[in-house]
Amino acid sequence: MNQNLYNKKTLQWLFYAAAFGVIGAVPLISDDAFLLNQLAVYGVYGMLAVSISLCWGSGGILNMGQGIAFGLGAYCMAMTMQMQTQAEDTIPPFMLNNGLDSLPHLWQPFQDTTTGIILALLVPTTFYLVFGGIMFTARVSGPFFAIMTLATLSAFATIFVDLQPYTNGVNGISPPGSLNLGETEIDPYSSGAYWFVFGLLVLCTVAAKLINQSRFGLIVRALKDDPERVRFLGYNVAIYETLVYALSGLIAAIAGCCFAVLTQYVSPAQFDVGFSISIVIWAALGGRNSLIWAMFGAFTVQGAQSYVGDQFLNTWILILGFSFILVVRFLPGGFAGLVETVLGRLAKPETETQSENGNLKFSGAKEVAK
Amino acid sequence: MAGSSRHHRSHTDIFVNLGGSEMDISSLAFANSLILGLSIAGIFFVAALGLTIIYGTAGVINMAHGEFIMLGAYTVYALQNFVGVPYFLCIPAAFVVVGAIGFAIEKSLIRYLYDRPLDTLLATWGVSLVLIQGTRLIFGSDPKYVEIPSFLSSNLEIGGLSLGVFRIFIILMALLLAALVWFIFFKTDFGIKIRAVTQNREIAASFGINSGQVYSFTFALGAGLAGVAGALFGALNIVLPTMGMGYVVEAFLTVVTGGGALMGSAIASLAIGELQSIFALITNSTFAQFLIFVLIVVFLRFRPQGLISASGKRR
Repeated sequence: MNQNLYNKKTLQWLFYAAAFGVIGAVPLISDDAFLLNQLAVYGVYGMLAVSISLCWGSGGILNMGQGIAFGLGAYCMAMTMQMQTQAEDTIPPFMLNNGLDSLPHLWQPFQDTTTGIILALLVPTTFYLVFGGIMFTARVSGPFFAIMTLATLSAFATIFVDLQPYTNGVNGISPPGSLNLGETEIDPYSSGAYWFVFGLLVLCTVAAKLINQSRFGLIVRALKDDPERVRFLGYNVAIYETLVYALSGLIAAIAGCCFAVLTQYVSPAQFDVGFSISIVIWAALGGRNSLIWAMFGAFTVQGAQSYVGDQFLNTWILILGFSFILVVRFLPGGFAGLVETVLGRLAKPETETQSENGNLKFSGAKEVAK
Repeated sequence: MAGSSRHHRSHTDIFVNLGGSEMDISSLAFANSLILGLSIAGIFFVAALGLTIIYGTAGVINMAHGEFIMLGAYTVYALQNFVGVPYFLCIPAAFVVVGAIGFAIEKSLIRYLYDRPLDTLLATWGVSLVLIQGTRLIFGSDPKYVEIPSFLSSNLEIGGLSLGVFRIFIILMALLLAALVWFIFFKTDFGIKIRAVTQNREIAASFGINSGQVYSFTFALGAGLAGVAGALFGALNIVLPTMGMGYVVEAFLTVVTGGGALMGSAIASLAIGELQSIFALITNSTFAQFLIFVLIVVFLRFRPQGLISASGKRR
């Protein structure tokens, strides 16, 4: 019993179970439809934080353009929802205003709900595979890659504003009805929608954790520490980087779909540079190396932002900026890193009987995925 | 320029107000767009100059660069309105004030993060949040204006070609600043130290160069140049706490495409400015911007080190 409790796998899973148990039980306590919708949107933010934790915390790939997958997923989903409400042979009203008289080819596949949802996941993931593949085979990495994701995100924001007849420009798409899956309607203001998003959040988080604990995850964490050494060991680094980047994109795409379902509105704001960077801030404050703490980071920051009120919003952003600087400077592991250190201190009295070498060995083993 | 740029738009929109108007003679339109491209290039270069120095020397990705530009514009606004300093004196004042702020930020934060490039990027993003919000708390969110001498706000027309005098002034300032930076880098003792530290920090330090101090002053120099950029852009556009956000991505792309060297940034901004102006003539300004982004991504795929690499090593 001389290992840091933070790194015990069984305890980690118990912690996950307890946390998700509490989060999942919320609709049993409250039936306030507005609150449930808001909390479900936080769930979406949680998914985004998990996706960033997967590619940045585990793979060391700082992705400041996660809004690409999020926005593409959200747009595809909104297009699907829009087409569900359209009668036979009619086109969305904004297209008429922009001089189109028939449904553009771009929109044709979204007439079918199943195809639309598949595209909502496939388009962003494929884009990430191609973009990531191009970048990582050219060995673009670190801050360079971050800048490239930022530039690509800006390009998407520009093009979605520009393609007004197809995307309704800055106004975005607001489907008049909620999503119908077969016979069931997902009313965004219901406990059903909450559990729907919650289920996907659990699925994404657990899948990401299993990825982290797998052999694949081990290599991904290794290339975070030293890509050259991993390359010399005979692994194709670019493939691993591209895959983990695309997987995080898939999670962000799922989050985008949920966002469109919950808010019934998408706009180029989903491609906003500031939003994508705030995802990184959530993960950094919560703890980039821990999926669940990154998720808590998203909950805390967004929750606090909603409840400080407009009057203190300016001061709040100032505090957020300062705390972000302090965390980056003094606490690179975020709040999770703090918990890890504290638990490590607790474990220490028992390890003091160990030899010096023993201590060193255990401090080196702290890279177990959380 | 003076009339159309007074209302708040994405700053790149104002670059291409000529491209949209149909001309009878297409060669004249083309010549006009080339001149406009030169003006865009000047703006890009001025915006990217401070970043080039900071990135090229220390490898620091300074996300707060846009906010240094914003601070420069607010410095001019404050000096004009509370002290009554004439515009031409405000430009060096913006250099000093923002340079001092940059120096303080380097001493208190950046110097601890030189070996953690990703964290520098994040920390400077935090700095930019704080600077935007701090400015908003002090000056409010309403737009401010920078007054310029009347002869600068006129329009120059030669044989169907027209350009605002202030845009010509920006191009001249770009040349002047480039010459100044070149002089500092290649003709002064400090420049030798900077270049030595850029090439190899350890070896330079072992020859007795205080590399920490070189980094501090380089950062301050870069911040000061951003302040000068702010003094110029504040007159070109309205002054808002968020005005820096519009410049930072383009400035980065210019620097990264250029590779971090002074010459690289000059060539990159010229190419980007001209191409953007020509694309805008063919399509429209938004799509032109999109094409530029795509071209840069493709270019960096094949030449990740940029046009001219500052330190010779790949970052």
